[in-house]
Amino acid sequence: MLRFVLFRLLQSLVALAILSVVVFVLARATGDPLHMILPMNASEEDYANARKYLGLDRPYVEQYFSFVGRAVTGDFGTSIRARRPVIELLRERLPNSLKLAAFAMGASLAIAFPLGVMAAVKKGTGVDRAAQIVAVLGQSLPTFWVAIVLVEFVAGRWQWLPAGGADSLASYVLPGLTLGWFVVAGMMRLLRSGMLEVLDSEYVKLARLKGVAERKVVWVHALKNALIPVVTFAGIYFAILVTTAIVVETVFAWPGLGRLAYDGITSRDFPVIQAVVLTTATIVAAVNLGVDCLYAVIDPRIRYSR
Amino acid sequence: MKSTTRIIVTSLLLLIAVASPAWAQAKSELTVALSSFSAETLDPALQGHNVKYYLSLMFDYLVGVTPDGQPSQAGGLASKWESSADHRRWTFHLRKGVKFHDGSDMTSEDVKFSLQRAMSKRSTTGYAGPLRTLIADIETPAPDRVVIVLKESTLIIPTYLSRSLSTEGMVLPKKYIEANGDDVFARKPVGTGPYKFVEQVVGSHIKMTAVDNHWRIGVPKYKNVTFKLVPEETTRIALLRRGEADVADVSRERVKELEKEGFPVHMRREEAIIHMWWILGPEGRTPPTRDKRVREALNLAIDRAEIAQSIFGGYAEPAAIPMGLSWAFKEVGFKVTPEMAYPYDVARAKKLLADAGYAGGFTQDVYAFQLPGFAEGKSFAEAVAGYWEKIGVKSKLIPVDYPAFRKQWVDRKAPGAVGYYNIANRDWIGTYALLEKQAYTPSKLNDTVNDPEIDGMIAQVMRQTDREKINALMRNIYTRMRSEHHGVPVVYVHSPYATSKTLGKYNPGAVMYDLFIDELARK
Repeated sequence: MLRFVLFRLLQSLVALAILSVVVFVLARATGDPLHMILPMNASEEDYANARKYLGLDRPYVEQYFSFVGRAVTGDFGTSIRARRPVIELLRERLPNSLKLAAFAMGASLAIAFPLGVMAAVKKGTGVDRAAQIVAVLGQSLPTFWVAIVLVEFVAGRWQWLPAGGADSLASYVLPGLTLGWFVVAGMMRLLRSGMLEVLDSEYVKLARLKGVAERKVVWVHALKNALIPVVTFAGIYFAILVTTAIVVETVFAWPGLGRLAYDGITSRDFPVIQAVVLTTATIVAAVNLGVDCLYAVIDPRIRYSR
Repeated sequence: MKSTTRIIVTSLLLLIAVASPAWAQAKSELTVALSSFSAETLDPALQGHNVKYYLSLMFDYLVGVTPDGQPSQAGGLASKWESSADHRRWTFHLRKGVKFHDGSDMTSEDVKFSLQRAMSKRSTTGYAGPLRTLIADIETPAPDRVVIVLKESTLIIPTYLSRSLSTEGMVLPKKYIEANGDDVFARKPVGTGPYKFVEQVVGSHIKMTAVDNHWRIGVPKYKNVTFKLVPEETTRIALLRRGEADVADVSRERVKELEKEGFPVHMRREEAIIHMWWILGPEGRTPPTRDKRVREALNLAIDRAEIAQSIFGGYAEPAAIPMGLSWAFKEVGFKVTPEMAYPYDVARAKKLLADAGYAGGFTQDVYAFQLPGFAEGKSFAEAVAGYWEKIGVKSKLIPVDYPAFRKQWVDRKAPGAVGYYNIANRDWIGTYALLEKQAYTPSKLNDTVNDPEIDGMIAQVMRQTDREKINALMRNIYTRMRSEHHGVPVVYVHSPYATSKTLGKYNPGAVMYDLFIDELARK
């Protein structure tokens, strides 16, 4: 198990090192941040001054090693746009993203589990069809459209819930549901198909023959064995929710990592782009590692293979 | 199961009750929801113009202006100012008893320090460059008197240090910055304005709280002011409807709907000119737009009235003068005559092209991008391209983002290609400063005009101390810009700001990048 974890850790570090080069090069290939921060009437002298002050006049190789050298100590430099240490911006934004993703994932689990299990148990009935409609809509409706419809009607016209910001628990509901609906759809379908397969297996039939209560057969014996793909899905999607909720964060004015990345990209804020990409990549790698370890807990056979 | 359902329903009802707008906001709060905060830097020396929206509440300017942009001895830290006979020494008399938010007194040393900081190499403000060129020395003969010594005579120094332009005139606390450093100041700014800084979450909001009594505003009406960054318009409008925002910028297409619902919509009339220009090559203009007739043809091919109606929902007026910032027209005595307006005349445009040897048309690159405050950018570029197609000019739309276009422009890598900008309207000195950067050959980087006659007039304005002669020069520059068709002025756009039904009277003013939110705090 330890060897397995160490091997995966090494793989992640190599991936992060490669990524640091790619993001450094690509960020600089897309343009000059001074075109965004300097006023339209800036002179050549203004450009030269700003470039020198921001350290952008140094050779690329020097800039890269300076960035990596500081990044390993948690110092991602200073935002060109906001002129604040990037680590401070990450500290402000990452918790908001984690909280929103946790809310969205919690809501998704709460909806997808009963819906997926019931759809499998009551296959072909109205419950199953209703669950499938939820799944199809969740995966086909564009997130930005769902978000805008919710803001326009639920928040704006009916005034049931806040339209934006991260000020109260109520303000989590609309962005959380918008983000979570897509996850509900995927998770519910996975759970339904996994449950259908497991419910048809020999050991479940044997449990029923032995007189085990149907509720226990479904919610304990069958569900546990249908969980592995769902755990993988939930893990990956949690990382995705944390790192890529740009549309939802923009519509709901949610100060998260996604919008930090978007603002960084549109203003060519190299230190922010680099920091966000490396942070999100680290989160994805850590979640993947966690999911792999969780497999081993759920299914003991996995820990013996590499 | 029934009890579970009851719990869920009760929780939802509670959630809705807690989230209801009636509880959302106390009366002493003022919330401004804006689509963009620009760079979100709280240090006036590290910003362009856009930050004035919120910085104007925390900092006072050396020279004040009224909301309609006129210099005001009642609105700034200088209660009066005068110049020497040769206009090279400007003396500013400072208001006594003004204190910074940390309790220290504001003196001439602070003014000197602030100006030096605004002109420093680190500064990225809009007019740091011209100030470096103009100012030779800053003297502080008394705590309430500061003398600015210029390298050459000029009338424009008070305006450069006023609220009507950028942030250079904001007075900062010397002792606080020297004791704590620039980084601390940028995170916890201290000024003399009616509101002091409380909190900033980049990408989310800036909170301020009122001072007890401000020399200009008195006891501010609102205890707290929050600027919320809300990029999506639907959300800004939802905040207005819920009473969670008191002022919000909205698009022109939502104005009628909001007015029908009873929300007052305040227009900043002619807030910006939508102006297009051709990128110069290293040696100036390149064919075919080197030919004046081609430039005129491209102007005549555009139906400005239709663009104003269809792209800008009727909240725009046709423009006729390239870079003609209309808020300055009255100040310099310039009038746009009916003959100056470009008619929509396809036949004449085609004839001009034929006369210039382009009867078969040519290919015109058009960069298409969105800009803050100009969401219609790409559809506007498509519309113009469509008009040009009608006279045989094959427009090639190049979708980019603005920084990519600006790189092509300032590096002169795409000579002859067209770009555009929603240039904020401003007074005559702001207009002059714009012309000096974008229509003056020696400015090199940003130049879009390349006309020796205009260069000569621009050079004279800076040195001229007779106001009437300045006005005449400015009028001649406008006339020449129009007669030579140095660009494609398309429309002046009006910008709508919706307010809550209870906010009352609000004048967003006519000063570039300033909404005079602090004036709302006046009781």
